[in-house]
Amino acid sequence: MHRVGGVIVSHGQLANELLAAAETVIGDLQNVAAVSIGWHDDVEAAKAEIRRAISSVSQGAGVLLMTDMFGGTPTNISAMFLDEGEIEMVTGVNLPMVVKFATHSKGGTLSDIAKDVEEQGKQSIYRTASLFAPAKSKKDA
Amino acid sequence: MLETTVRVVNHLGLHARAAGQLVKLARRFTSRITLRKPDGSAEADARSMLSVLTLAASINSRLIVEIDGADEREAMDAITHLFEQGFGEL
Repeated sequence: MHRVGGVIVSHGQLANELLAAAETVIGDLQNVAAVSIGWHDDVEAAKAEIRRAISSVSQGAGVLLMTDMFGGTPTNISAMFLDEGEIEMVTGVNLPMVVKFATHSKGGTLSDIAKDVEEQGKQSIYRTASLFAPAKSKKDA
Repeated sequence: MLETTVRVVNHLGLHARAAGQLVKLARRFTSRITLRKPDGSAEADARSMLSVLTLAASINSRLIVEIDGADEREAMDAITHLFEQGFGEL
């Protein structure tokens, strides 16, 4: 069955490192590529690199672009590729989002996966003080 | 349905790589595998890494493993063994 492909696009080396971290915990991710856009890279060169990455992971089931920050250059360039039903984008990528993407079930549609990844990203942020404080007082908590 | 309590014995607790191992193992079985904190404050599907990580189970914490399905015996043996071995980190 064809799987939805994923491309992480970021400033600096963030995209490569997010992918490397996800692969360390989950294993090799064939359907995910990373594009790290250098701070001084030419827009056309960056665009060509994203295009190459999209075709490298595309299996005909659509591609989800996961970018680092809404309003930033990686997101703005990625937005040029948006194509309803074919290419979607979710911004603010974090490690749980990449893990969520990588572990989605094979039959999921691009739209379902995009929604799940967005929700996961939001749900994965905790202000931890209240979570960990009580456990500290009990050795065997 | 089988249920037992396991203890996290590895120093780093049920962290990302350990959770990854647990999920890989859980996905080998057809049974439904649930991990629960004894105080009922959190519950996770062992087939989902992000769910397992929400348990935030540190060293010495105890978790209730509940397994239900055709291969529950084999799954329980494998899961308890993984915890006992500290996810290969001891």
